[in-house]
Amino acid sequence: MLPISYSMGNVVARPGRSFVMIVVVALVVVACSLFLGLLSSLHRTVAMTGDPMNLVVLRKGSDNDGSSQITRLAYDSVRYLEGIATGPGGQRRVSPELVVQPFFWTKEGGRENVLVRGVEPAALDVHGDVKIVEGRMFRPRLNEILIGKALRGRYRGAEIGQRIEFGRNQWRVVGVFESDGSSFESEVWVDAQDLANDARRINPFSGVRLRAASEGDLQGLKARIDADPRFALEASRETDYYAKQAETAGSLEFLVVAIAILAGTGAGFGAANTMYASVQARTAEIGTLRALGFPRSAILLSFELESLLLSAGGFALGALLALGLAEVLRRVLGGVSFGARTFTTNLVTLSIAPRDLALSFALSLAIGLFGGLGPAWRAARLRPIEALRKA
Amino acid sequence: MSEAYATGAASPLIRLDHVSRWYTRGVDEVHALEDCSLEIPAGRFVAFMGPSGSGKSTLLNLVSGIDRPSAGEVWVAGQLLNELSEDELAAWRARHVGLIFQFFNLVPVLSARDNVALPLLLTDLPRAERQQRAEIALRVVGLEHRVGHSPRTLSGGEQQRVAIARALVSDPDLIVADEPTGDLDARNAEATLGLLRQLKEEFGKTVVMVTHDPRALRFVDQVFHLDKGILLEGEAERRAHEALVLAGGAAPASAGGAAPAASAAGRGA
Amino acid sequence: MSYLGLVLANLRRNRLRSLLTGGAIALAVLLVCILLTMPAGLDALLSRLSNNTRISVVNKAGLVYSMPYAFARKIRALPGVEDAVGQVWFGGAFEDDGKVTFPNFAVEVDHIETVYPDYGISPQGLADFRRYRDGMIVGRETMKKYGWKLGDRVTLRSTVWPANLDLRIVAEIPNDRSPIAWINREYLDQALKAKGRSLGILGIVWVKVTDPKEVNSVMLRIQELTRNSEAETSTQTEKSFFSAFFGSLEGFVTILMVVTVLVSLCIVFIAGNTASMAVRERAGEIAVLKAIGFRRGSIFSMLIAETVMLSFTAGAAGVGLARLLTELLRNAAAGSPQLGPLGGFIVNQAVVVQGLLLSLAIGVVAGVVPAFGAARKPVAQTLREVF
Repeated sequence: MLPISYSMGNVVARPGRSFVMIVVVALVVVACSLFLGLLSSLHRTVAMTGDPMNLVVLRKGSDNDGSSQITRLAYDSVRYLEGIATGPGGQRRVSPELVVQPFFWTKEGGRENVLVRGVEPAALDVHGDVKIVEGRMFRPRLNEILIGKALRGRYRGAEIGQRIEFGRNQWRVVGVFESDGSSFESEVWVDAQDLANDARRINPFSGVRLRAASEGDLQGLKARIDADPRFALEASRETDYYAKQAETAGSLEFLVVAIAILAGTGAGFGAANTMYASVQARTAEIGTLRALGFPRSAILLSFELESLLLSAGGFALGALLALGLAEVLRRVLGGVSFGARTFTTNLVTLSIAPRDLALSFALSLAIGLFGGLGPAWRAARLRPIEALRKA
Repeated sequence: MSEAYATGAASPLIRLDHVSRWYTRGVDEVHALEDCSLEIPAGRFVAFMGPSGSGKSTLLNLVSGIDRPSAGEVWVAGQLLNELSEDELAAWRARHVGLIFQFFNLVPVLSARDNVALPLLLTDLPRAERQQRAEIALRVVGLEHRVGHSPRTLSGGEQQRVAIARALVSDPDLIVADEPTGDLDARNAEATLGLLRQLKEEFGKTVVMVTHDPRALRFVDQVFHLDKGILLEGEAERRAHEALVLAGGAAPASAGGAAPAASAAGRGA
Repeated sequence: MSYLGLVLANLRRNRLRSLLTGGAIALAVLLVCILLTMPAGLDALLSRLSNNTRISVVNKAGLVYSMPYAFARKIRALPGVEDAVGQVWFGGAFEDDGKVTFPNFAVEVDHIETVYPDYGISPQGLADFRRYRDGMIVGRETMKKYGWKLGDRVTLRSTVWPANLDLRIVAEIPNDRSPIAWINREYLDQALKAKGRSLGILGIVWVKVTDPKEVNSVMLRIQELTRNSEAETSTQTEKSFFSAFFGSLEGFVTILMVVTVLVSLCIVFIAGNTASMAVRERAGEIAVLKAIGFRRGSIFSMLIAETVMLSFTAGAAGVGLARLLTELLRNAAAGSPQLGPLGGFIVNQAVVVQGLLLSLAIGVVAGVVPAFGAARKPVAQTLREVF
């Protein structure tokens, strides 16, 4: 009932005090947004990875490519099954793959495990999102490799035309591939046989990936593969497989909640302090308004509005800072790596999505709402006569 | 309204019936008002006068509905104020009372026009009409050229005039002023008192004022004298009081002690 | 009235404000402590390992590349080597979980005692491990996680070998932060032979060097030994090994520290605002004190003492809360395989010290400007303004 201009006018009239509250809220917004961004970037990378129509076939009991091994016979038992999609040239969309995690050395001398995937040309038919954006596909028996976009520049020799040393050999980078920001971009692809030779593997493959022709086919294939008594194999939908891989959720989400609650409440206390001081300074004014006949609810709403305006201002500042800071971190850190269960480097680019900002906005409003509640209540409860007496 | 004044038979606008007000401050119990009874007809310009601590401000607060009596009844414009709740009192004040304070009490972050329009926010009037009425009120007090100014850019006298316009804008029956000239220089004080007189003469408002400004005696219709929470009844006492006031308002400071043995009862004039 | 009493009385002046400020500081320090447990967990692990005389030997190509079994014997024969234990990743999953939740290796049981004397495993336990083929030694962190006790029987299903092994817990590694488990290599070999395979390889060899000064020369000797063989090795001290292992989490830790700084800045603002409000309100009193004769230095120390006291007490409360909370939370959120020791959320001594220092620093930084300003303001000016 009191005009909005009253609340706004008071925000502007005391720039020092308003500034403090705005900065406090802004800092909390930045902290929260960064972490939310990290979480959502991770989820996005995982969500991007994998095709819902693909099946990942591994040895029963292995929870990831790297620890699985299958025989050539097992591969043969799968590749001719009915229900597998075919490509434009009539070829079956089946990709046998060998996964190894050798050491790669970063430019600073650090050592990381990188996922190297030995594939046959059919891989590009199965992993539809993977596209070679620079250079060309490798040729077999020449120790040529493709590197995912995220790895470029991170390791010694990770550039087209240069050589990277891993395993027992040196390998020439002939191309770079992208895949919509998914985890594949943290991988190195190489000819399966070349890799098997280098890693002295008896069994040539870790597993098989295949594309089903339809959802019904997918279910049928899964059932048949799981039930085959000759080879202990297990098939899972590719998207499910990757979802299971990236299970940091517990710890990270806990941290985000901790930050939101603890920092948010702290900021709320700070906001309350600011608003209490405001109420104290304007006791006579509040008394006048009450004397004039404004009901308590009008006073309460007006002060809450003021608090909300300040915290919204804090959000605006914080959002800008967060986006800027994220950009800086992106440049300085490159990808942030999260070890997948095998401690393989899985690089995630920190970026803050609109949804993350929306959540931070909600937090800033909560700070304003709850921080301002006590003071607004006190202001509303002022009896006109007390207020005027203090004048 | 002037008819009511002439006959004196119509019911008074304000009636206090054996009203007392006491409150605790720390460990002491302060008796601000002791068994006051009075009547004020509509359309009259009255002043409550007395030394500091005499209870005049308390009396004013009771009349304007800002405070409640500890005992007795307060009737204003036919409404028994005692039986209204806090929120009902607020709504009642918005409709029936215009308030003027010593320190003007304008909202510094609003313009003069918005300050004057404040009481109208409590009505259903659309914005355009609220603004218009505010401007009319400001014209009455002679500030139509200052409507957009912030109180910070107005002189003391101008601020008080804005406050008077605000008191006027919702067309209340009763205008209440607490030491309206207390913070003004001689010229502005005279102008303010004249303006208040104008409200009674031209608009038929009932104006009740607390003051210890001797100049006020020339403008008001009636004076109620208070001392130590008691309304002074006797002619002699009131004359003596008046003399003191004229002499410069240097009244003996009362320390809120015991009231005189003879407590005045009966109705005031 | 003592100096301290004066400071306390001033804090009580506006109880609500002191409480709100103190509350904000406590919560923020609590948060910072939780965040700091992550890098602190890693630092603690690494510093524990810094004086060790253990060396890791892996295939230069990577952890998943194997070395021939004979390497262990050859390494043991080198001068300067007290003993060496060959290990292979078993990758066992505990039935109910279906995924690997703690590191477990198949090891040469006869050499565990000499290579890990600092692990504090009971001699009886070690003897049992040597004697019983199906014996298993488990670190206390994993014991607690699953509520296992000595003598329990546990089945582990390997995710890399075609082997499900029934095991009996014969000993415990008495360290709350050790999740590791060891089983008998022979037992695994036996199970593989039944399927027509054998365990002829090693994944990693842990070597104990007799004399700490010899560590570097032993590392060189091992590398020479394997230089032109089929599996060239990479040798590192135990500390470097784990440092590299978790090195890739650096980016994440940086973000953590950035957030810590932001939160700290936030509290400084809150505390500073409170301090300046308090000072402004008491301008008159301070002027009177100065007029009476208190020197500027004493005024300054008195004012800053207030902020520091509030900040330190509140911060200490936050640290205490952090210890309590993480005890409760350890089971809920920790042990994430993704974050390794970072996921432990254990408030150790380092974190406590850091938390307390931060509280102190906040008090000083927040209070210094208002206190200085108040102490410096000329007496006459203040008296004029206020009275």
